[in-house]
Amino acid sequence: MTQLYQATLLAHAKNPHGAGVVPRGTEDAEAFNSACGDEIRVKLAWTPEGGLARLTYELHGCAVSAASASLAAQRLEGKTPTEIATMAAAFDARIGRAGFEDDWGDFRAFNGIERYPARIHCAQLVWRAVRQALEKKRTEK
Amino acid sequence: MSAETASGAGGFDPGSMRRHFAILAREIAWLDNAATTQRPESVLKAMDQFYRLHNANPRRSVHRLGTEATTAYEGARATVAGFIGAGAPEEIAFTSGATASINLVVYGLARWELGPGDEVWVTALEHHSNWVPWQQAARAVGATLKVVPLQPDGRLDLAAFRKGLATHRAKWVAVAWVSNVLGAANDVPAICAAAHEAGARVLVDGAQGVAHLPTNVAALGCDFFAFSGHKAYGPMGIGALWGRRELLEQMEPMIYGGEMIARVDDATSTWAEVPHRFEGGTPNAAGAVGLAAAIEWLRALPAAAHAHVAALAREAAEELAALKGVRVWGPADGRVSLVSFSVEGVHAHDVAQVLDGRGVAVRAGHMCAQPLMRRLGIESAVRASFAPYNVRDEIRRLKDGVRAAQELFT
Repeated sequence: MTQLYQATLLAHAKNPHGAGVVPRGTEDAEAFNSACGDEIRVKLAWTPEGGLARLTYELHGCAVSAASASLAAQRLEGKTPTEIATMAAAFDARIGRAGFEDDWGDFRAFNGIERYPARIHCAQLVWRAVRQALEKKRTEK
Repeated sequence: MSAETASGAGGFDPGSMRRHFAILAREIAWLDNAATTQRPESVLKAMDQFYRLHNANPRRSVHRLGTEATTAYEGARATVAGFIGAGAPEEIAFTSGATASINLVVYGLARWELGPGDEVWVTALEHHSNWVPWQQAARAVGATLKVVPLQPDGRLDLAAFRKGLATHRAKWVAVAWVSNVLGAANDVPAICAAAHEAGARVLVDGAQGVAHLPTNVAALGCDFFAFSGHKAYGPMGIGALWGRRELLEQMEPMIYGGEMIARVDDATSTWAEVPHRFEGGTPNAAGAVGLAAAIEWLRALPAAAHAHVAALAREAAEELAALKGVRVWGPADGRVSLVSFSVEGVHAHDVAQVLDGRGVAVRAGHMCAQPLMRRLGIESAVRASFAPYNVRDEIRRLKDGVRAAQELFT
């Protein structure tokens, strides 16, 4: 258990990047964790050049989902929609499976989460919302 | 365990119980009994014996194993009937569990009767299994779903319910006997009396009651009673529906196929007698046999075992409530077997994860009661639920784990 809640993860959970208020109805996407009732609403702001200016989210969730959202907000800033989609797929391929290589930085805190399979969907919550937000942006064009 | 011998209520020794449960040798404090209990050896043995010695497809064959399997299956039905105070074994339909039992009533009877303008009542504390089927039936036929509200003390507001019934639009009332979150028994006899006076039928979800309280459907006064085997020391995948005979006779089957027919012609069919018309397909005979064994095990429990469970739930609630930053949900008294709580600043899943690291198994989440969670103003909670094999030291481990979670996250 304590291996899951290591310092990096706890630090992000306690002081999350990008956490804020996204009033219901103003979100670009929302995602729910059907196992626990957790939810996240995300708002994506874009720069004139088409990069992500800021990922803001309102999360009602656990430490794992909070840390994951914080890491995502940090990591995705400045990325284009295509880059974000690629990263979302790369995250999914690694979380609970191959794990994160050194170039993923703090995401390596999730290595070992495969021993707690019930918690993998907590880490995926923000990414599910981000993917939906991208899809919405794409179809609105 | 010797220290526990002295501490058990009424001289009851929970340590002696643990010997019946091989899985408890795994040094896990199993405080998730409301999700599913563990199974005593006698249940496992009964199922094993069925498959090893008597296995056949019940009610189909003339050979001796077929006869034995039928005898075992129908014997289990009689055991269930006796256990819940049914008038006859024919009033019991085996299902896969309480959820299937409730859906059978909703799809087999309620949906045929309900129409626009009718009201279906659920209570604010229902499990999704006793909420969603009614919600969907009401939506499909244009009926209105009404909710019995909660009082601030965590009990159902029966005055509001009675007032709501005055419109005489209520056709069905669905209520849990014991809340899987708040932990207290509802006043089901009063609810049934009020509903019947208003001309409505009542289905009782007994899933959290049968393992802990003496069950008698006549005393409860309901029209249908649903429960699961696995929350009462029986196997998963078996449960039962009891219904008043005249209502069962009116109920349509939900699963069509083998076993449930009287005669099949090319274009039409007629149904087997009650309850077999509700048991399409090969039944879970080994499950029924296991359930009957669980009932025998329950019947052999002394009253002190149930007092022990209630005492554990009460003590856990009191001791958790005394911790700074912990809020306990539900009525202060009348706990049957469980306590749900929230830890300020720590998510329920994180509390449960820390507890798991210490070998304490609790439930965390919305507990399949999202409408209730919303009314409490929370997304999720932690629940500790007890059985006769639990010991007082497990409450200490629970509290220590809660404190450790607080230290880690706040």
